[in-house]
Amino acid sequence: MSGKDWGIAIVLLIVGLLIGYFAVGPGKTITTTVTQTSVKTVTVTQTAGAPPPKTTTTETTPPKKYADTIVIGVTDKVSDLDPANAYDFYTWEVFNNIGEGPFKYKPGTTELIKGIIEDYEVQEGGKVYILKLRKDLKFADGTPCTAKDLKWSIDRVARIEGDPAWFVLDFVNKTEVVDDYTLKIVLNQPVAFYPAVLAVPTYFPIPPDKYPADEISSDNTAGSVGPYKITKWVRDQVLILEANPYYYGEKPKTPKVIVKFYKDATTLRLALESGEIDIAWRTLNPTDIKDLMKKPDIQVIEGKGSFIRYIVFNTKIKPFDNKKVRQALAAALDRKAIAERVFLGTVDPLYSLVPMGMWSHIDAFKDKYGEANIELAKKLLKEAGYSESNKLKVELWYTPSHYGDTEADVAALIKEAWEKTGMVEVTVKSAEWSTYLELTRKGQLPVTLYGWYPDYIDPDNYLFPFLHTGSNRWLGEPYSNPELDKILEKAQVSLDHKEREQLYKQAQQILAEDAPIVPIFQGKLYVAAKKNVHGIVLDPIMLLRYYLIYKEAGS
Amino acid sequence: MSLRAYVITRILMTIPMILILLTLVFLVMRVLPGNPVIAIVGMKASPQYIKKLEHQLGLDKPLWQQYLDYLGNLLRGDLGRSMIWGKRPVIQEIMDHFPATLELTIGGFLVSVLLGLATGMLAGIRSGGKVDASMRIYSIVVYSLFIPLLGMMLQLVFGVWFHMLPVGGRIDPGLEPPTITGLYVLDSIISLKMDSLINSLAHLALPSFTLGLVLSGIYTRLVRSSLMEVLGQDFIRACKARGLPGRAILFKHALKNALIPILTMMGLQFALLLAGAVLTETTFSWPGMGTFLVERITYRDFTTIQGSIVFYALFVALVSLVVDLVYAYVDPRIRY
Repeated sequence: MSGKDWGIAIVLLIVGLLIGYFAVGPGKTITTTVTQTSVKTVTVTQTAGAPPPKTTTTETTPPKKYADTIVIGVTDKVSDLDPANAYDFYTWEVFNNIGEGPFKYKPGTTELIKGIIEDYEVQEGGKVYILKLRKDLKFADGTPCTAKDLKWSIDRVARIEGDPAWFVLDFVNKTEVVDDYTLKIVLNQPVAFYPAVLAVPTYFPIPPDKYPADEISSDNTAGSVGPYKITKWVRDQVLILEANPYYYGEKPKTPKVIVKFYKDATTLRLALESGEIDIAWRTLNPTDIKDLMKKPDIQVIEGKGSFIRYIVFNTKIKPFDNKKVRQALAAALDRKAIAERVFLGTVDPLYSLVPMGMWSHIDAFKDKYGEANIELAKKLLKEAGYSESNKLKVELWYTPSHYGDTEADVAALIKEAWEKTGMVEVTVKSAEWSTYLELTRKGQLPVTLYGWYPDYIDPDNYLFPFLHTGSNRWLGEPYSNPELDKILEKAQVSLDHKEREQLYKQAQQILAEDAPIVPIFQGKLYVAAKKNVHGIVLDPIMLLRYYLIYKEAGS
Repeated sequence: MSLRAYVITRILMTIPMILILLTLVFLVMRVLPGNPVIAIVGMKASPQYIKKLEHQLGLDKPLWQQYLDYLGNLLRGDLGRSMIWGKRPVIQEIMDHFPATLELTIGGFLVSVLLGLATGMLAGIRSGGKVDASMRIYSIVVYSLFIPLLGMMLQLVFGVWFHMLPVGGRIDPGLEPPTITGLYVLDSIISLKMDSLINSLAHLALPSFTLGLVLSGIYTRLVRSSLMEVLGQDFIRACKARGLPGRAILFKHALKNALIPILTMMGLQFALLLAGAVLTETTFSWPGMGTFLVERITYRDFTTIQGSIVFYALFVALVSLVVDLVYAYVDPRIRY
């Protein structure tokens, strides 16, 4: 019988060896075949497309200086490859690499510079924008892009009424083509930050012959006028960008960018370590970031983020209609504990809705309440009629996966801080995303945790949507303060920067006093990349510009 | 009953099954708070805009009408369109994701059966001894392994340390074989693309092994007990008395008779694997149905969820039918 045992053992061994064989084999084939295919694709575009410009992408890059391909891994998702409906961070990042709007941000700063326009004029006290387009603008297929196309793209957004349509509908009265390269945009009223609005992908020109006029086209790869064009798109799996030969500006340093979509943050990290990807972008776990910092062959780049997290009190639900209750809870909150213990220092405590580093930011909550100020919290709770024997009962809601796995811990630490007063009893409850959203919108959840990514970089975007009456729709529109409304409205139309700054500071003070929304922390950005990757620029715009990134060749 | 009649009856029986399943899913999804519109629109969307989208998707109609509409379309073979992200036809979404799951299922299934049979047979013929004890421990240990943890350890060892196998995905971009069946391994063989074959097998190796190892524990136990039972029967003693070599007894007589309960388990496992490989798919970023369905349930993509359920029900019915037919082949005493 023992002979058979051996036989089976040998079979098992062979199976193991086979697996091993397939394992060793591909490591080599992967690299060679990928380069082969990239070469192939270039030839195809040469023969099939319209007559290409003088140089092809491979020729413009100095020979053997930079690698041809860079692989980026993300756990994000692309929603709709259509500017009329795309309204999430990652899809906007893709659009910022394949397209460009009238304005764009200078990499590394929050300074707005001209994008696809040569020049512009503001008339009638900020009500009219005359945009003069560049004359060498071309779409990814080589057809010229004119003022007519830009008008068509903007009007299309308004017509489709998709998610981000308010960027157009809320501001624009009408668009007029003056000549082939001049577009006139008439606003309903002056808007102080309109150039920042003109930088969002909703205002990117798209080719009218490739996008349907009245319908959202979710998997459209026609692209826009930016540095890259899409050459392959498999939803949730892979996105391949190649340099757009018709781009007016500087050619991307890396002609081909492959974006791989991962489902799990730890797998993303392992993929970087195994060499499958060159860059691990959004979003790594805090523990993995800390770990990767110690690896010799990996660099972790930190940047300022402009996303914020906050607690919302529904001011229509008792006892949170009582200002003293909200103030007490704001005072007792221990932001440092959350930043350190849950996020291992990968986020910064935040004391205002306007993020740190943005003009007009003040530490409104810190100035008013201090940090983890239990004594003040106790005093306020007593004034509101609570005591050790008559505890304030708080139902705190969070959503378990939308904001990452850390969310339950955030809720637990908030509970811990509030209960330190001895006068608060917190029940933590959770609901998954769609339930959470619906219940909040209906105004049924008393205390919730939410997060905010900016639409455009201006304090207005961090205050108006939250505090202006009727604007905070996702929260069930609970809070309203006529005085604050006036301030925010005034700041929106004022063209005097000093005055706006003053108004926003005032608004933040009122926010801290009323405490309908309490900021918790501001995120930082982390990119982990191999040591031979350069040109990663992180700034508060939070978009990775693939066209600036390059990798030393031969490694 | 003739074989044909049997097959037809079985197929007809799936219709009420699907109807019951569908009704349940339909009701449960709509009883839960939240709908695809709320889940997908931006925070600033106005109530009017949400109403408009709900109207577009027909979500403002009374429930019974939505239900009847859906059934009506289903009868015409139309699974409808997804309600979120691109609103692609449901059948296309399924066809994009299902082959990945099927490939992983087959991979994991083969590994689990191979490992399970080998360990179970070792334990069965050596029952009571050290080998038996260690195989029984093996079965418990592997069965209680947590898939993401095991998967990550394998990724670390084979991906990060030895750079032998990729840690995620189905194939390297650019190497996809032409779509024939959607199973990359099979398609690469049909189209004779060696690069693609090796690459897709390399991608398949770790997830299949992870899934297969964990599930092999069940087979170890089952094969062992089934084999022990058969080996104790009179006809085996008769074989031995006739002086047949041990190998012939084991493979030709004992194993074939021990196979019936194992086959049942295989059928059940296969069906379960199709739906239950979510953890493996997440760990290895495998673009299959499991993670897809979980995502769509989170976002309340009603039509996609319903469509997938119908598809699954059909497929599972098919698998169990095949298993029943294989019974007859393995055991000539079974006739339909």
